Amino acid sequence: MSIMEDLRREEEKLLRTERLPHVWCPGCGIGIVLNAFLRSVLRRNMDPNKLVVVSGIGCTGRAAGYVNVDSFHTTHGRAIPFAVGIKFARPDLNVVVFSGDGDLFAIGGNHFINAARRNHDLLIIAVNNFTYGMTGGQHGPTTPTGAYTTTTPYGNPDRPFNIPHLAISLGAPYVARWTTYHVNQLQNSIHKALGMKGFRVIEIISQCPTVYGRRNYMRSPLSMMEYFQKNSIVKNDATFEEMELTYNGKIVVGEFRSVEDIPTYEERYEDIIRRAQNEGGD
Amino acid sequence: MTENKKFKRRATVRVLEERCKGCWYCVNYCPTKVLVVSEKLNSKGYHPPEFAENIEENKVCIACHLCELYCPDFAIVVEELK
Repeated sequence: MSIMEDLRREEEKLLRTERLPHVWCPGCGIGIVLNAFLRSVLRRNMDPNKLVVVSGIGCTGRAAGYVNVDSFHTTHGRAIPFAVGIKFARPDLNVVVFSGDGDLFAIGGNHFINAARRNHDLLIIAVNNFTYGMTGGQHGPTTPTGAYTTTTPYGNPDRPFNIPHLAISLGAPYVARWTTYHVNQLQNSIHKALGMKGFRVIEIISQCPTVYGRRNYMRSPLSMMEYFQKNSIVKNDATFEEMELTYNGKIVVGEFRSVEDIPTYEERYEDIIRRAQNEGGD
Repeated sequence: MTENKKFKRRATVRVLEERCKGCWYCVNYCPTKVLVVSEKLNSKGYHPPEFAENIEENKVCIACHLCELYCPDFAIVVEELK
């Protein structure tokens, strides 16, 4: 029995198989990301009872419903505040936020910024499919300039978020970006991040053939995957300009930041509790 | 040596057909092209892939498990042969 066969068998136990097939469209990349995430959890030999998956609203938000661990399907944009609460109440748990770009960076953008600034001990898996998939393909904060969506029929005038740069500027200890084409690198990256501490951000560029690809000349799942395959460059020391996503341009992927020993908010808070108790006084 | 060469295949692919949604990443990304789009339909109306090895054309499963990793619908199980 090989390791890969073991992983596949154990993975089935981490899924709520009675709910499969899932709601995601044919060729949607979220399934690939969920697959990589579950395999990384298994490779880490983590106790499923010590793992919590929190997700917000949207296509990616449905992921919490398919994992057979404690999971939260929270209100729109508030996945990070819920996760922070769980981490405060039970610091022994591993909390993973599995959510989409519209949830984490549009309505939840402020929560993302402040949680990153305070360095909460959370793993953020941000699936970026460039659009609001579930509501019909409106343009969002990660839609590249010039892309066609239902609400921008003549091209999007906005500039998209540069998520890895945003996370690095806020001092996140682990920042990486992959596409769904890089299945093995993605799995290794999540595996590494699960073993670290602090606010770890992994952005995954995912395909949305149904509402994004259809309007941007990539009508089939395979043509979107082909775009990732042809246009992605692995560059771990990419500059801020290179990380920016452009319409049908190059996608720079890689592990942009990986540092240890930044104290997390939970550690600093415990330290304050200890100091206050030692000083005594009433 | 000749015996070994004849039976070089090392795994077989089981497709959980009811979960398949017909994106065919597995068919496209298989390095030895052992999966083909089948004629049959599942209950949702998608054509699931089919395991079709052809030893003469060197289309044999080399147990790389890539189809398992690419499948977004958890519909593929690679079973290695001993």
